[in-house]
Amino acid sequence: MLTVNHLTKSYDGEKMSLTDVSFSVRPGEVTVIIGPSGAGKTTILRSINQLIRDDDGEILFDDTDMRQLNRRQLRQARCRIGMIFQNYNLIEPLTAIENVLHGCLGTKSNLAGIFSMYRNREKEEALQLLQKVGLGEFAYQQCRNLSGGQKQRVGIARALMQRPKIILCDEPIASLDPKSTVTVMDILRDLAVNDGISVLINLHQVDIARKYADHVIGINNGQVVFDNRAKLLSDVAIANIYQKNVNTEGSLVHEF
Amino acid sequence: MIKPENQVSIPTRIPAGPRLSIPLRFRDRRRVTILLTLIVLAYVTLMTLPTMIPNHFKLGAALVSFTENIKIMFLQPHLANTTFVTLLGALGQSILLAFLTTLIGSAIAFFFALASTRRLAPTYLVLGIQSFMAVIRAIPTVLWVLIYSVVFGLGANAAVVGITFHSVAYLTKVYADSMDELSPGIIETMQAMGLKKSAIIRQAIIPYLIPSYLSWTFIRFEINFADAIAVGAAAGAGGIGYQLFMSSSFYFNFHEVGVMVYMILAFALVLEIISYRLRSVTHQ
Repeated sequence: MLTVNHLTKSYDGEKMSLTDVSFSVRPGEVTVIIGPSGAGKTTILRSINQLIRDDDGEILFDDTDMRQLNRRQLRQARCRIGMIFQNYNLIEPLTAIENVLHGCLGTKSNLAGIFSMYRNREKEEALQLLQKVGLGEFAYQQCRNLSGGQKQRVGIARALMQRPKIILCDEPIASLDPKSTVTVMDILRDLAVNDGISVLINLHQVDIARKYADHVIGINNGQVVFDNRAKLLSDVAIANIYQKNVNTEGSLVHEF
Repeated sequence: MIKPENQVSIPTRIPAGPRLSIPLRFRDRRRVTILLTLIVLAYVTLMTLPTMIPNHFKLGAALVSFTENIKIMFLQPHLANTTFVTLLGALGQSILLAFLTTLIGSAIAFFFALASTRRLAPTYLVLGIQSFMAVIRAIPTVLWVLIYSVVFGLGANAAVVGITFHSVAYLTKVYADSMDELSPGIIETMQAMGLKKSAIIRQAIIPYLIPSYLSWTFIRFEINFADAIAVGAAAGAGGIGYQLFMSSSFYFNFHEVGVMVYMILAFALVLEIISYRLRSVTHQ
């Protein structure tokens, strides 16, 4: 499904952000990447759809290397990769349904994008997706008037509109209250179990990772230090992932 | 962790002694420089002011004739050489000149702005277009109209092209600035979904920018209206400015000038009301 091999990235050419990162994501599973902040979780996620250009390695998505694609091929590949962000990144002046419909624009023509031309079938699908995330009656609300949890659910519906094979979630619950956190994580879990979509989530909450993940990848200082089933995530393993690490200046740093 | 030698020591309590005033800022050499510059400038201005006044100038007589003219203009406005309908037509002409130049200018400026915002365009384009536009902006609109009147001859054509030219430079700058303020995450999100550039501009950038577009374009309309009046007088472009020029410099009829000034003020008031309404509609 998705296999990452020997991914390496350095932003400044000196300090390594990712060193030889390899893992794979299976369909129908929730895979969670945990690790201290600054460990490289976001860099990994953004390398997958090439929002960040990595330096070396291999990212096999459906057996094609994302790194070898030209601009047009990359755009087409991105159409089938959903992405969810910590701060939602919705187009706030537009309505919820307009935002959800953006998910299907990648495969449509220039003209359709410019004149917002959607088929009735697509509009129906968008409404159904909003109902699926429990926001049926908010379809015509401007997104700026929605709460954080509601915005994130619109973001999920938008990602689903892409009919994705995989959804990448970059700290999806970091700005949410506990109740919304549960709602959003339940939806993401449901997508993996019932729709067979691979869900790859960056998290820094270990308890949430334990509760929702099938598979956990622990990252520390740009390296994979844990790659196993969630039930094998012991306290020792967590301490290892979140251990104090030594930075390049040689002084001890707490990173949480 | 900050190394000990780089740490700033923060006093835990205010040192004892007479506490006259606790400063809110550090003493800053720049502030002293600015203050000194202002003092020098004020001194120079005060010293040179008397030399600017001509020898035969009598303040009393000048004040009297000034108030006399003001009184003629604002308290006794009436028409002599033209009719009210003619003036209304001329005002309409000036308004249309302003409207046309703003419309064409904003349409052209939108594309230049897309090509010169940091959110979408490469740095060399941003710098190239922005500095070119800055050069155009540095030259006043009336001068551009006069430059173009060399090509088109004095009249409305030169006025339309000249005012549009300056409007494009002005609006490109403000449109591009509002695009720069957009969060980069929004465009990144659209790219991550595989959207084409045209769709990103239409679906993500434009919805955010409509309020600032409307208000900036309207401000430019107000500027263009003022310029259209000035150009009517200076470059023979017609409109209320030309009538104003004829009455004040040809017939020396200040009663008539008064009527026109009131007409222009009335329209300016209407513009102000519209822009206020516009702001309350778009910034909800």
